[in-house]
Amino acid sequence: MRRSTAAAVGTLTGAALIIGVRLSVTPPEAPVAQSQVADLNDSTPPPAAKKPAASAKPPAKGDGDKKAADKPADKPADKPKSGLKDGVFKGSSAANPYGKIQVSIKIEGGKITNAAATYPTANDSATINPPAIAALKEATLQAQNADVAAVSGATYTSESYVKSLQAALDAAKA
Amino acid sequence: MRHVEHVMGTTVSIELTEDRPDAGLRELIADVCAWLHEVDARFSTYKPDSEVSRFGRGELRLEDGSADLRHVVEACADLWRDTDGYFDAHAAGSFDPSGYVKGWSVEMASARLLAAGSHDHYINAGGDIRMRGHHPDGGPWRVGIRHPWEADKLSWVLTLNDGAVATSGTYERGDHVINPRTGRPAKGLRSVTVVGPDLSLADAYATAALAMGEAGIVWLAKRAADGYDSAVVTDDGRAFSSANLPAAV
Repeated sequence: MRRSTAAAVGTLTGAALIIGVRLSVTPPEAPVAQSQVADLNDSTPPPAAKKPAASAKPPAKGDGDKKAADKPADKPADKPKSGLKDGVFKGSSAANPYGKIQVSIKIEGGKITNAAATYPTANDSATINPPAIAALKEATLQAQNADVAAVSGATYTSESYVKSLQAALDAAKA
Repeated sequence: MRHVEHVMGTTVSIELTEDRPDAGLRELIADVCAWLHEVDARFSTYKPDSEVSRFGRGELRLEDGSADLRHVVEACADLWRDTDGYFDAHAAGSFDPSGYVKGWSVEMASARLLAAGSHDHYINAGGDIRMRGHHPDGGPWRVGIRHPWEADKLSWVLTLNDGAVATSGTYERGDHVINPRTGRPAKGLRSVTVVGPDLSLADAYATAALAMGEAGIVWLAKRAADGYDSAVVTDDGRAFSSANLPAAV
């Protein structure tokens, strides 16, 4: 029988190398922003075109243990040519166990200036999803500048690729 | 030049940023795609006549297999040992090295590009990325780690020139990673990202840590000494990262 004791045991030295960050537990301010993004479903002007409500809020200071990455999101102007075409690129809407999600990104002047998604707002998923989203929201806003060349994530299938941020990047570059 | 190829059950995005004629870039991309399709044909457990399927059924002896097959089998055995059994190519019963083969094949593809003179490129196979050199703007590659609940958001942004970023998570395909100790879906971690020099190992480490659950956080911390940094999000939304994770500010 394969055996070895639980990896958790006796590795406090290892634990010291890891920095734990409790992502902010901001309670439900998020739903406001969500209802705004939610009209992506009706393909009215994509919310990516609007200023995200959440980022308009002053950063919640005093979280103390927030990640050091919480620095001004705007970087000095650089990136002369990214090869990205301007416009709003949407993924197709997809269902997952938490509800329906659709992603879009906006590119202005060759840079990704915004990204948005719809979230489930009804029924059970509304009670499950918003707290989860809110719990990680601050971390997301820290990395709000989604100006990246590629996205790493859990392995998608060819089918789910089409709604990924990577697909939106590829579409912008094509 | 960007290219998107559907292969190995996922989608592979390739970007080459060399300053050379398009025809040359297309040739390099075609070579990468041909290699990935070849790997798929030889190592897919869904294809009954693939080399790996014949090996799994005992119809092909290891010593009669290709050098690549022998490498994959040995690497999986090494990883089983190095991950305390949590990376287990036999977890599903028959031999299935898919958890190693994808990362390895992309690692090899990037090496082939380098050998052909391509110093600036990335290959993203279903969310696992191997990159070299520079972004077209001259800076390092910026790689986002997908936020494990919000598909359009990033939980970290990394900057790298040469290296690999692999993420395993439960949010794309559900509870597909099995804890080989219990035979049940892994619980505790929602997303595990490993950053390091070699994509085949980074990918396998991420999968193993996910299978371990929260104990994987401690296990990953020990990999930092070998140059493998990590970023983890637990099922309840806590985020962990190793001290030298190349996170952009």
